[in-house]
Amino acid sequence: MRLKQLKFSICLLLVCLLLQGCDMFEAHPYDAQVRGETGINARSASRIAQQTEGKDTIRFAFISDTQRWYDETKKAVSDINRRQDIDFVIHGGDLSDFGATHELEMQRDILLRLRQPWVALLGNHDCLGTGESVHQRIFGPSNFYFTAGRVLFVCLNTNCMEYDYSEPVPDFGFLEHVITSVPDSIMHTVVAMHVPPFDLEFNNNVARVFQAYLHQLPGLLCCIYGHGHRYAVDDLFNDGILYIQTPCIDKRGYLVFTLTPDGYEHQLVAF
Amino acid sequence: MDMNTNWSLSSLLALCLLCVPSSSHASCDTVVIRSKHERRVERYQHAWSNLIPHYSKVQYAGGMGLVSLGIGWDYGRNQQWETDMMLGLIPRYSSDNAKLTFTLRECFTPWRFPLSASVHAYPFSCGIYMNTVFNNEFWTTEPDRYPSGYYGFSTRVRTHLFVGQRIKFLIPDRKRVFSNSITCYYELSTCDFYLISAVTNHLRPRDYLRLSFGLKLAVF
Repeated sequence: MRLKQLKFSICLLLVCLLLQGCDMFEAHPYDAQVRGETGINARSASRIAQQTEGKDTIRFAFISDTQRWYDETKKAVSDINRRQDIDFVIHGGDLSDFGATHELEMQRDILLRLRQPWVALLGNHDCLGTGESVHQRIFGPSNFYFTAGRVLFVCLNTNCMEYDYSEPVPDFGFLEHVITSVPDSIMHTVVAMHVPPFDLEFNNNVARVFQAYLHQLPGLLCCIYGHGHRYAVDDLFNDGILYIQTPCIDKRGYLVFTLTPDGYEHQLVAF
Repeated sequence: MDMNTNWSLSSLLALCLLCVPSSSHASCDTVVIRSKHERRVERYQHAWSNLIPHYSKVQYAGGMGLVSLGIGWDYGRNQQWETDMMLGLIPRYSSDNAKLTFTLRECFTPWRFPLSASVHAYPFSCGIYMNTVFNNEFWTTEPDRYPSGYYGFSTRVRTHLFVGQRIKFLIPDRKRVFSNSITCYYELSTCDFYLISAVTNHLRPRDYLRLSFGLKLAVF
């Protein structure tokens, strides 16, 4: 009798544990079992296109390198949410520190609190272990583009060292595809990436080729990136195209870009 | 005669003195030659028999695979120490392939409370396990293409800490097939990745604690 009761209570306990903590049962930190929302970039891209249709002035926030700074990321999200003037948010990559599945899920869940649509790029830390597969499942392909008003946003995977020539990074085939299929309505282009040319992580043999490709995009305004964890503005190729680096989220800052038909300006916002 | 007796007595004594040790020596020799080998064989067999696993385990989740199978040894005065070796399987999920993992675990279970003659409760156990993934995507030290210390951690080897509870059911003699007892356990664990994230942030426990449960089937 006592044994039966015990067995019953153990079964009950196990069932309770199963129901209570489904996501606490994990095969491995790198198991790539994605729970919750997926395909975020594609959905955001269509929301951004819809919400900015016909708009001349586009304003977006650019954050990056939020890895293992969950508290700071939450603060950045509430600071961006507090503003009424942001059309959308771009995350420059490195959402995770180790590429672990739950890191990317946690970052996604924090960023999903943004009122604005948002997209996330692939950072070099996101490539570790099974991170790249998980990032692709949650956000989508690592090279993508979307439009906001009459501006084209090209988001590129530039984490060359992570691939060790196993895949074309940066993908010139993708760039050619974008260059040849840009609709006529596009006036300007902003290129976002995680790693800038001439960084150790970049394939610097093709740095100038890369820039030559970017110049074929209509009305190239600037290139924005993260990775270096500090605010920086450089004319890397001395061709008038500025490479603008947003600080990591631990530095309590992000960039806000305002694009008008005449050009663009950016501002470093502290929170 | 006297001399003779003396001689015979002394020779008898000498013989006895010689005989006793020599006979004991002789018997010892045969015994030693036989038993030395036998004892060596015995020692050899005993040493290797210590390596016969005392139990097998099956575990669900816990960062070592969705399902893991293992063998292990318990030792110590009250069998409070346990060393396990487990092989686990991580399904493919969103990654490129399924993965096999290997885990080495040390567990300490200090207290035992008999609930009845055949049921024992172990209210607390704790320990550490290290897990490695058999897959080329993971590295122990960074590949040569990175400058040394670029990432500064291993993606292949994870260290987990855990606490848990268990309950042991002794199987009555007549019902024993292979196991003499079954232990049900659950563990609450965290790994190095989660621990460092939890220490530097305000996270919910479900973000850095992981549950697992399993069965231990004791052979002897």
